[in-house]
Amino acid sequence: MAARTRRPEIRFGEHLTWAGEIARSALTSGPAIAWVSTFLLLPVLGIAFISFLSRGTYGEIQLPMTAGNYLRLAGFGVLGFDPQYPVIILRSLVLAAGTTVVCLVASFPLAFFIAGLAGRAKQIALTLVVIPFWTNLLIRTYAWQLLLGPDSLAARAAVAVGLAEEGMPLYPSALAVYLGMLCAYLPFMVLPLYTAVEKIDWAIAEAASDLGADGVRVFRHALLPQVMPGMVAGVILVFIPATGQFVIPDLLGGAKTVLLGNAIQQQFGASRDWPFGSAIALVGMAVVLFGLWFQARAGARTGEEGPL
Amino acid sequence: MKRIPLPLWVTSILLYVFLYAPIVVVIVYSFNAARHGGPWRGFTTRWYATLLDSPDKLAAARNTLELGLASTAVSTLLGTGLGFGLARYRFPGKKLFSWLMYVPVVIPDIVMAVAMLMFYALMREWLGLFELGMTTMIFAHVTFQVPFVAIVVRSRMVGMDPAIEEAAHDLGASSLQAFVRVTLPMILPAVVAGAMLAFTLSLDDFVVSFFTTGPGASTLPILIYSSVKRGITPDINALSTLIVLVSVAGTVAVALLQRSPRAQRGEK
Amino acid sequence: MFTPKRFALAAVAALALACQKQEPAPAPAPPPVAKEPCQLNLFIWSEYIDPEIVKAFEAKEGCKVTIDLYEDNESMIAKLQGGGTSLYDVVVPGNYVIPVMTKLGLLAPLRKENLPNLANLDPKFVSPSFDPGNTHSVAYQWGTVGIYLRRKPNQKIDETWGLLFDPAKKPGSFLLMDSIREMMGSALKYKGYGVNTTDKTQLQQVAKLLTDAKKRSQGFEGGVGGKNKVLAKAITAAVVYNGDAVKGTKDDPDTYYFVPREGGILWVDNLAVPAKAPHRDAAEKFINFILDPKIGAQLSNFNQYATPNKAARAFVTPEDLTNPAIYPPPEMMAKLEFVTDLGDDNRLYDELWTSIKSK
Repeated sequence: MAARTRRPEIRFGEHLTWAGEIARSALTSGPAIAWVSTFLLLPVLGIAFISFLSRGTYGEIQLPMTAGNYLRLAGFGVLGFDPQYPVIILRSLVLAAGTTVVCLVASFPLAFFIAGLAGRAKQIALTLVVIPFWTNLLIRTYAWQLLLGPDSLAARAAVAVGLAEEGMPLYPSALAVYLGMLCAYLPFMVLPLYTAVEKIDWAIAEAASDLGADGVRVFRHALLPQVMPGMVAGVILVFIPATGQFVIPDLLGGAKTVLLGNAIQQQFGASRDWPFGSAIALVGMAVVLFGLWFQARAGARTGEEGPL
Repeated sequence: MKRIPLPLWVTSILLYVFLYAPIVVVIVYSFNAARHGGPWRGFTTRWYATLLDSPDKLAAARNTLELGLASTAVSTLLGTGLGFGLARYRFPGKKLFSWLMYVPVVIPDIVMAVAMLMFYALMREWLGLFELGMTTMIFAHVTFQVPFVAIVVRSRMVGMDPAIEEAAHDLGASSLQAFVRVTLPMILPAVVAGAMLAFTLSLDDFVVSFFTTGPGASTLPILIYSSVKRGITPDINALSTLIVLVSVAGTVAVALLQRSPRAQRGEK
Repeated sequence: MFTPKRFALAAVAALALACQKQEPAPAPAPPPVAKEPCQLNLFIWSEYIDPEIVKAFEAKEGCKVTIDLYEDNESMIAKLQGGGTSLYDVVVPGNYVIPVMTKLGLLAPLRKENLPNLANLDPKFVSPSFDPGNTHSVAYQWGTVGIYLRRKPNQKIDETWGLLFDPAKKPGSFLLMDSIREMMGSALKYKGYGVNTTDKTQLQQVAKLLTDAKKRSQGFEGGVGGKNKVLAKAITAAVVYNGDAVKGTKDDPDTYYFVPREGGILWVDNLAVPAKAPHRDAAEKFINFILDPKIGAQLSNFNQYATPNKAARAFVTPEDLTNPAIYPPPEMMAKLEFVTDLGDDNRLYDELWTSIKSK
């Protein structure tokens, strides 16, 4: 404990002993940590334990303990070797990454726009971004099916431009899936990004531009570092949940492929193999958390703060 | 404050149109005379009338609102504390706990739902508590909302200039006073944003709600999910339209009722 | 207006409100003297019971019925395993999960003395293979899985699963059903195999068939979704459950349902009582009520599915009785098979389905 001393330190203007800091941590972070630990982390440990158990003939969870589920994940199935699950995980990561990029591109203009409005308009504009998400995701996605159906405006425009056949809907397709994903995850990117953009010190940008920097350089060096924390938060809040998303790809992609969410759902649902489902979930979560950790380490080297 | 250039106006309006396109479809189709949600059959307002006549849908709407407000309130409190605490203070095991707070964000819905179901079952055996119902749902929702709020709040704190807080302390403010009078107003946009995210998460949750609810505590997402599997019927569209209208009206009302408080809080 | 103090106050108020709304625990066994108010917690598929039937039961027995919905058997089982056995009084499991639920101890045995109307059941559903002696379940509705399509006037339809599985046939755009056993079972029937086979060669052939069909299709969809898309003219053909299809043909006479000549799946949904149901008497009264001939007919007229109640046939709409889509003729019935749970061999179907969907 070389960094901490027994003498009161000044942190952010406060005189704090180490004990005082612990007390404050307990007061502020404590309740949340206690809550999540009790209600989720302990049960998740239970799930981890279950992933090493076996499935009984009637779908019960039972001993003996086995690594069989993990072997199956690696590709050793009853019908021979087939690395389906690594492919499934990769596919989900790619979709999540694509969604994140699309959301980023769409969120920047919106965040700057909202931040640039005056007082009440700002509040209204921000809430207007969120309101569509208070209608059910399923309903909105089904609405996209109608919007992309064979008789819709979008389809007819595509036929006119020669990008689609007559009478065919614009889904299932990758475009439809990404449209749906963008629609679903936009507020999770816009809201954190906006909180950062709102606090931008424009003086820095003005100074940079006065000193002769062009628009791109001003953005890269004066504005981007200021919004970085918000951007990182947004990326986290979109990428991570998007890896588990499967309803939108099913509805707009024709359910023709298996993503991480589908695979887990199938095991907890139709196949009633909770041990295997738990294993898939744990590996999926581990992969995502590892990616996050890796990104945090890389960020730490360049002096960026991690999100938590 | 920068003036908004025209290209930004155009892009943003287009994005709003994109966001609301499905909503417009929902509103239009809520007047569809086709009973089973098929193609357009004619204009009618009777689905709105039948809505008022369905006690189960109204009960579900009430449950959803209750659940959303209660869970958002609790999770915003907890999440703001967490975001603030992680940004400002150090404690043993901080790194580990920071990473563990990601679990509710990373975990797939169904796994979380099953995990909580088993946890409640165990608690019921040992302590006789946690009969499935509204309270178990609220607890479950808070659990997945907290990290979202914390992440947003912390990101705002990280980017904040600590000089103002330091000045407050130098001028003799106690920790609590400094927090309430100085820090909180500065991070309020993030807290509100986090709360809105939390509310959205709760309103749209089906899987966790389904597994942690009890008889009579069904929520709209559960009802809608079941109906949707049967095909989107116009009364579901009517219900969603009402939700949107109420939300928009509420937002505008709240905004209009405010009498320039932002200038008082030192917002730009 | 939005000050921190008021926010905190609102939060506390919301929390207090939430704590007050704790759902009461299910009533324990009542004291012998007092009569508890009648309550029934029904856990059922959506749109599977006529609201009028529920109201009639409430009026007749003075009971209050709460209805909760689920959309697949496995969610219902998971809910029961997680403590739902003491929450719900009546559930509606499919035939293939009943042996599983019985072995897992999730169902209470039925007390036959409370079910005089059992005598109304058609002999085919008395003591079925999946529940000998009707110890835990009573048939509710039954039906088939087949093809529902839109046909042009005077178009001759070749009634075979080959419409979907034979690349030479071009039925137009089509959807497959997003359900493991139903879809694989239909393909197995096309190849002339049994729907419960565990022969790896047969299964792999069928997997190849389905993977190829998937590539030609517009994707997978639940039964009702498929029927809606056919009705909406977005799709030409889909694999659907017969009741949904019949509702569709009534809406649009240009559409048409059939079970292909190779045969298909026969399914039966049943009423059952969870092991620790809080209102067991009410549950059995309800089951007996459903078995009443007039009520059974009302149910089938509402659902457009087939009734297992022989006495109810007298009150079923005559045109439904003669509709082969609802009541298949005897030659077709001989080609229909029940799906059974395959225990450890379920894994074969699971792996193949994952690879079909994934490739």
